[in-house]
Amino acid sequence: MTISRRNVLLGGAASAALLPLAKPARAQVKEVVIGVIYPLSGASAQIGVDAQKAFETAADIINKDYDFALPMAKGEGFTGLGGAKVRLVFADHQADPQKGRAEAERLITQEKVSAIVGTYQSAVAVTVSQICERYQIPFLSADNSSPSLHRRGLKYYFRAAPHDEMFSTAMFDFFDALKKKGQKIETLALFHEDTIFGTDSANAQLKLAADRGYKIVADIKYRANSPSLTAEVQQLKAANADVLMPSSYTTDGILLIKTMGELGYKAKNIVAQDAGFSEKALYDAVGDKIPGVISRGSFSLDLAAKRPMVGKINDMFKEKSGKDFNDYSSRQFMGLIVMADAINRAKSTDGEKIREALVATDMPGESTIMPWAKVKFDELGQNNNADPVLLQYNGGKFVTIFPPQAAVADAIWPMP
Amino acid sequence: MDSFTQRRRRDLILAAALAAIAACVPLFVKDVYVQNIMVLTLMYAALSQAWNILGGYCGQISLGHALYFGLGAYTTALLFTKFGVLPWFGMLGGGIISALIALALGYPTFRLRGHYFVIATIVIAEIGFLLFHNWDYAGAALGIDIPVRGDSWAKFQFTRSKLPFYYFALVFCCVAWFITWWLEDSKWGFWWRAVKDNPDAAESLGVVVFNSKMGAAAVSAFLTAIGGAFYAQFVSYIDPESVMTFQFSLLMALPAVLGGIGTLWGPVLGAVILIPMTELTRSFIGGSGRGVDLILYGAVIVVISLARPDGLIGLFSRRPASKGVPQ
Repeated sequence: MTISRRNVLLGGAASAALLPLAKPARAQVKEVVIGVIYPLSGASAQIGVDAQKAFETAADIINKDYDFALPMAKGEGFTGLGGAKVRLVFADHQADPQKGRAEAERLITQEKVSAIVGTYQSAVAVTVSQICERYQIPFLSADNSSPSLHRRGLKYYFRAAPHDEMFSTAMFDFFDALKKKGQKIETLALFHEDTIFGTDSANAQLKLAADRGYKIVADIKYRANSPSLTAEVQQLKAANADVLMPSSYTTDGILLIKTMGELGYKAKNIVAQDAGFSEKALYDAVGDKIPGVISRGSFSLDLAAKRPMVGKINDMFKEKSGKDFNDYSSRQFMGLIVMADAINRAKSTDGEKIREALVATDMPGESTIMPWAKVKFDELGQNNNADPVLLQYNGGKFVTIFPPQAAVADAIWPMP
Repeated sequence: MDSFTQRRRRDLILAAALAAIAACVPLFVKDVYVQNIMVLTLMYAALSQAWNILGGYCGQISLGHALYFGLGAYTTALLFTKFGVLPWFGMLGGGIISALIALALGYPTFRLRGHYFVIATIVIAEIGFLLFHNWDYAGAALGIDIPVRGDSWAKFQFTRSKLPFYYFALVFCCVAWFITWWLEDSKWGFWWRAVKDNPDAAESLGVVVFNSKMGAAAVSAFLTAIGGAFYAQFVSYIDPESVMTFQFSLLMALPAVLGGIGTLWGPVLGAVILIPMTELTRSFIGGSGRGVDLILYGAVIVVISLARPDGLIGLFSRRPASKGVPQ
């Protein structure tokens, strides 16, 4: 072969075409590092410690071969990255937005994480996601439920789980369904604490009540961790609404139920915004006083009957933590799986490529452990197909009563 | 030249040398995480210096400085997000508002003595916290998210670089130190120390006790609010929980108390030891979730306060720290 100009060009073109094939071999990834930012000390340390177990369970499923219909379960590690293993780096934000920010920056610059998952407190998610945006590292809100988070229009922000407005919408859908069956539900009483969680929740409920024609007869905001709720409960008693809707953390929830007992007020029905009302501690303390209480949730172990893997994964988590999956730990577990699945499809640890893969996510609900229709993010990074469930506490355990496709029993209404 | 003047000259030279060294540190330290710790250390040193003016020199222990810090942060953030006012003006405005509020609060509370004043500061700061917590215009519990759109000195926001914040914090710290140094030898400085030691005796010698307390409160609040405005820009998100809680008031007093209350170098020394320690222990052993970092932190504070009740500054003075301020 003579060295003609054409041959040189051809050879050049051929090697150029081969280059992309050669690249992955050079950039062989041994492990994928993911940062996990939670409160590991301070008032909400227990949440963080449970979260660690949930994330470790997910990492275990990613790194070993399991026969579940869950993304990342089959095969060891990231099949898209030559079997690279996931390594989690935990950081403690102590519920302080400034510390969360510093930890996110440390994870990105020192630990070289490819993605970050967090954070329980919504205020910390604000700063952590800001830092991720600046470094172009994807951030997934596993269990933050403040709707303001995804509305900031960040490019690297994603949330697979429902936000508070979706949760409240499910409650009003439930009321509408009951009304159709001939139940009388006209008046509502809101009772909410004054941090982001309670504020957002009440705002959503006020709006929904106005849209759908329910009358709010009491809207009571109280100071979180209040030493006494007597005055507030007296107002609730006077209003005696058809449904009492508390948005309270555990200690406030317990105090509410105790004070109601002391003042002789028995609510006709209670439909609670999760938080304290999905915590075991509350039911251990005052569960006998509120049979038939309903709480929203994003997870239900009843799913195990339809999807056996839910029970098996729950057993794995229980072995580590001594607890069943609850509303938070299930979302945390699923958060890491969704992120890992995107990294696997991106076949890269580059932030921008992972972001593109997250945008392209379309995971059917059956291959998650959640009651969701599917995981698919809208342009703001929110998954609008994450259907919440309503659970009723009855005979010492929770039963799914709504929506119909997830329900295993009819609601007992009014409360016994 | 008496020994007091000599000491003051030595202090000034030492401060200039330390500031020059601090200004060169970023040339060698490129890691943003470490830079972040340095920024926080300087910020707390300055805040604690501001607290020290009222709490240390004038002897009016305040556990409500989070109120002034929060006012500075909120003034800047609100003016910027609602009216587009550059943070530099917000910073100044916040400082002035805080100083005025300190005067308004001082008017009734400085007539209280001892523990009652401390309690009043805690209660007033808590009221401020609750007001902001429920004030919808200021974001209530949701706080204020300051949008960051690229690097700009005018808007005082930088996406990744910590250096501008570092140098601002350094200047802030130097200014707070210098003001304290300058006041120490002024009429005010002598009045404050007299008020601290014995208000009745001071009054009998012609010191206007009430006015001198008011002056200390105004200077202290002004500087604290500048720190708050800086914090809002640095973190670019504020909410009542993170800038106005009681815990924050303690964090401002702690470096001064630990380093040496009522001394020029105490707050700086305290901050240099405390802040890196909290940050490093949290980052490198806090991930276990067992609280070891907080146990260590608490243990160090207990050991220091047992071994050096006058503060760490006692390690550096030849004479006992209690006699540190001469005639």
